[in-house]
Amino acid sequence: MNRWFPVSACGEVAPNSVAHTQLLGQELVLWRAASGMLNAWENRCPHRGVRLSLGNCIGEELRCQYHAWRFATGSGQCTHIPSHPGQKPASTMRPMVFPVFEDGAFAWVNLTPDAAMPVSAAEGPGLNLRSIFTVAAVATVRQLLLQGYAERAVNLVDEFTLEGAAGPPLGIRFMLQPVTQGQTIVHARLRGAIDAAQRLPLLRTHNARMTAVRDRAEALSAC
Amino acid sequence: MLTLYDYELSGNCYKVRLLLNMLQVPFTARAIDFHPVREHKSDWFLKLNPLGQLPVIDDDGLVLRDAQAILVYLASRYDESGRWYPRDDAAALGKVSQWLGFAEGLTTTAGAARLHDTQFLDVDIGKCRAGAHALLRILDEHLWFAEQEGQQWLCSVDHPTIADLACFPYVMLSEEGGVFRMPYPAIRRWGERVKHLAGFKPMSGIFPAATLTPPGGSPPIPG
Repeated sequence: MNRWFPVSACGEVAPNSVAHTQLLGQELVLWRAASGMLNAWENRCPHRGVRLSLGNCIGEELRCQYHAWRFATGSGQCTHIPSHPGQKPASTMRPMVFPVFEDGAFAWVNLTPDAAMPVSAAEGPGLNLRSIFTVAAVATVRQLLLQGYAERAVNLVDEFTLEGAAGPPLGIRFMLQPVTQGQTIVHARLRGAIDAAQRLPLLRTHNARMTAVRDRAEALSAC
Repeated sequence: MLTLYDYELSGNCYKVRLLLNMLQVPFTARAIDFHPVREHKSDWFLKLNPLGQLPVIDDDGLVLRDAQAILVYLASRYDESGRWYPRDDAAALGKVSQWLGFAEGLTTTAGAARLHDTQFLDVDIGKCRAGAHALLRILDEHLWFAEQEGQQWLCSVDHPTIADLACFPYVMLSEEGGVFRMPYPAIRRWGERVKHLAGFKPMSGIFPAATLTPPGGSPPIPG
């Protein structure tokens, strides 16, 4: 499974903040250190198994909410155990760390721990749309998105490696995040220069269209 | 001295405690044994509130029930800035009232699911959870567009209102009722902003924000 999947718009995980997502059933804590480095880790403290997404970002470290153990950005290495302040934490004391790639618009994660970074050009100008969480499988969502946007130049990215997935420079780019077998997040970006006055109307229009696709996909899946 | 008839694990009591703390109003909390004693249904309590519900306040003889009504009273009586309950702005007041009603919906869905899971409340749990998700979807979409328009809070003012405090508890406690918030990233960011307000206090199940400011960094104000 050496593939890259979108997990969030870059701007939605600000420095000093923590987010929670899931990819192919694997729960992830997404967090960005004060310096800007984005991390995607298994969402489980190696100490007592509590969700790390309940924790807080403290500069360059993520601090577990349960016993305040701290883990370093990048490596995940435990740096501090409050109940044993003089002890150097074992090098094995770290959550599983997954490779993260940011293309300038969206963050991508590969669940193969030692995967090489993709070769991909940075995104050109454009506008990130609101990501839509859908209770339906990727295949259903893909089909209804293509129907719902039949008139547009669509660049649909799912389960591809990033290489070769650049697609047409204009139009709309959909990126599908398989959350679990029956859940999908649709990330999307309008490509090309966007007039500032058109920003909000475009966001609202596409949110309405993508939400309609979500509702159809969910109705179909509930049958 | 104001008396709050209080139950530590109640989200509706918690929102009243939050506003009292944020407005720095001294008060005495009178603990009511909601579970398992059901003291809120006892003869003496029903004389105070015939609905048999918490919270109730007694402010020098003025007895008020209903969490949202209590927030309206406290902000009107004790907030000299007029920002928590913007009485002189018709549109803002309408929006605040709209979200106070929404908060009641959160109580009867997410709040009821939580009492089902933690205190054996006899409700249709599937219906409660589905109802909660329907409301959280609306809230997440509203907050995402608010961020896009540069607004940090539920209502279009540059300061939180009682609407934020009214909705906050049962949103943040939803996972205790099996209503997972991973699909709602904008709600997560809003919750972090509430946690950074002066006078904020956590409760059981609602964790504090980071208290340590990293060297050279500032607390996150995402969005």
